Amino acid sequence: MRVIIAEDETLLRRGLQLLLEEGGLQVVAATPDSETLEEAVDRFRPDLVITDIRMPPTHTDEGLQAALRIRRKYADVAVVVLSQHVQRRYASELLASPQGRVGYLLKQRIANVDTFLADLREVAAGGTALDPDVVAVMVARATLSNQAVRALTPRQQQVLALMAEGRSNARIAAELFLTEKAVVQHTSRIYDALGLPVDSDSHRRVLAVVRYLSRG
Amino acid sequence: MRRLAVRPALARSLDRALLAILCAGLALVGVEAALLPWGGAGRIVLVLYPIVCLTYLGAGIVAWYRRPGNRLGAVILFGGFAMWLSGLQDTDIPVLVAVGSVGATLILAVLVHLLHAFPSGRLPGPVSVTTVSIAYVTSLVLQAPKYLFNPDAGVPALFLADDPTALAVGAMLQSLVGAGVMVATAVVLIGRLRRAGPAGRRVLAPLFAYGSGAALFIPVSTLVLTPLLGLTDVERTALQLVVLGCVPLAFAFGMLRGGFARTGEVEELGTWLGASDGSRPALTRALARALGDPSLALSFWVARQRIFVDDHGVPIVRDSSPERGLVPVELEGRTVGAIHYDSQLIADPELVRTAGQVIAIAVDRERLTAELRESQRALQQSRERLVDAADRERRRIAQDLHDGLQVQLVLLALEAQQLANAAGTDTAIGERATQLRQRIDDAAANLRQLVAAVMPAGLIEHGLGAAVEDLADRMPIPTTLELSIDEIPASSALESTAYFVTAEALTNAVKHARASSASVRLTSDDGWLMIEVSDDGMGGANPGRGSGLRGMTDRVDVLGGHLRIASEPGQGTRIEVALPCA
Repeated sequence: MRVIIAEDETLLRRGLQLLLEEGGLQVVAATPDSETLEEAVDRFRPDLVITDIRMPPTHTDEGLQAALRIRRKYADVAVVVLSQHVQRRYASELLASPQGRVGYLLKQRIANVDTFLADLREVAAGGTALDPDVVAVMVARATLSNQAVRALTPRQQQVLALMAEGRSNARIAAELFLTEKAVVQHTSRIYDALGLPVDSDSHRRVLAVVRYLSRG
Repeated sequence: MRRLAVRPALARSLDRALLAILCAGLALVGVEAALLPWGGAGRIVLVLYPIVCLTYLGAGIVAWYRRPGNRLGAVILFGGFAMWLSGLQDTDIPVLVAVGSVGATLILAVLVHLLHAFPSGRLPGPVSVTTVSIAYVTSLVLQAPKYLFNPDAGVPALFLADDPTALAVGAMLQSLVGAGVMVATAVVLIGRLRRAGPAGRRVLAPLFAYGSGAALFIPVSTLVLTPLLGLTDVERTALQLVVLGCVPLAFAFGMLRGGFARTGEVEELGTWLGASDGSRPALTRALARALGDPSLALSFWVARQRIFVDDHGVPIVRDSSPERGLVPVELEGRTVGAIHYDSQLIADPELVRTAGQVIAIAVDRERLTAELRESQRALQQSRERLVDAADRERRRIAQDLHDGLQVQLVLLALEAQQLANAAGTDTAIGERATQLRQRIDDAAANLRQLVAAVMPAGLIEHGLGAAVEDLADRMPIPTTLELSIDEIPASSALESTAYFVTAEALTNAVKHARASSASVRLTSDDGWLMIEVSDDGMGGANPGRGSGLRGMTDRVDVLGGHLRIASEPGQGTRIEVALPCA
């Protein structure tokens, strides 16, 4: 898998590059800002872009804007956005780009190497990866205002959160030490309780859950 | 300005003096009228003499009365006297005819004098003084050959010898010097017209034109027009009298109207001060009126900073052009302010200085007010700088943590995890390394909260809306958010104040009011950003207590906004903040 990294902190850029290469990914370019990132994407057409949100020259959200542009321009280039802080609005903006292939993770998640690499592969394969932190914010918020979410059992809320994070049933099962069959049972009960349509496509599943959680 | 009930003593004394002059003038004119030969042919002309004299008398007295500090009134009266003198020539009494012949052309010198002295009444500069002096010499001394050496002059008392050569030379000399005086006058007047502002020029140009025209008309009508048009002596004299008769009216009108109109008296100023509160801009207005200079301005001395400020407390830059005069106002030996005036209009700085002494105490009071305003402005600016500095510092710290410590924690955690994952690592050590990584992740989570409290990423990256949205999302109680705000300048004090005020209000709702729900509303309304935060908690919030609400109030205050708290015990709390989006 061919990857381009955009990160203005040199140490982190190097660390990330080494980590990806050790994980068997091919880093075709590592750039320090969004402008060179977009040039590199045009040139190399990678499978995956990993970009920081806050980068020079304005140090605001140019990484996010570049990610959204790349997703609109190249349907086959997946994008994972990294940040020191995650919030619901950015997640919604990313999820709104067509056909998924987006990830939105805290930078700190890099350290948990195996999970991080699994998330990258998931996104590159057409899935979605949302950070547990931003999903937790969504679930907590929905729990406060939504009777149906509040009525879910703690286990179902766990499964709901993992679904929103973009995990497949297999990964949810591994995470919660359950059988995949048990996970399927949980998900169908959740679908019933929240009135969501059953959908096998992983991105559409994330989208539906996140939209539900962000309601009202 | 209010009408004064009582005229001051000095003004009353002036009134009496003017009344005496008026009576004397009327008497003189009456005597002359009685002595004129009414039986002769040129009766109409004779009527004109007293009328012209009375015109000078009236115009001069009105001008003097309205502007006691201005000598123009006196010069006009002197013109009346010159007219009266020349009228004596037509009487039948030889002594009076002789006196009249001596002053026959005095009126021309007075005309030149009026032209040079307008509008201040003083002769500005040595050129004017010299020119006017020569004009008087021309009309009084160079006139002498006309009656000394001319047997036909009809003044036997002064006749010396029949000397046609001396007469011709004298006449030639008078014409030449007279022409020189008029050229010099024209140069001076054109120079003054060019320096005058448009408003002054509108008054000066016609007046100068008429005055110069009148002065030229007298010799030209005698020497050129009469032979050319075949005018009789009666017609010529009548014309000359009409032209001269309009001179005092023109000058008095020009002085009292146009840009030089405002009149009053320095003494009146003192009375006015006693009868009014002496506040600005009334003080400036009264001073401008008293000195007859509408462009006059007052400034106040701020001793602490050694600068002059205007009445809004704004430091002023001194206009150093020669047309602007400046006279300091002093009280008990210290400078309290300054009067800025038009030196073209007011030739005598002493007059301004005297006016300054009269109003010094009022100026000092105004000065203290202006100084207070200035220091208030400085205080406000310093508060703004403090808030700005605090915001900049917060942003810097947040950015430093983002670029430094947060990155280091990622790398540390990564290294711990790589240690755990490395081939050949002992299982127990691997587990401990993974735990270490998790603890570093926890530390990173704590650091994220700290950074969000210092200066949230949403505010830096996406602005107020995103930041407040994240704030509401992370509330532990149901919190509704209504957001409809216009663009706000990024990294502005307005943006961060709005954010921190909202954050503080929501924190209070959870921590102190123990509310079970809250709502936030941010709207833009006609240049104002309105923030409403309400909760259903226990209420009783007191802005005087607790640093949170105090800090909020201070921040809002600095931006010129206002904050209202409704927090009855048991009724919940509602905080409304309005911030100007200037």
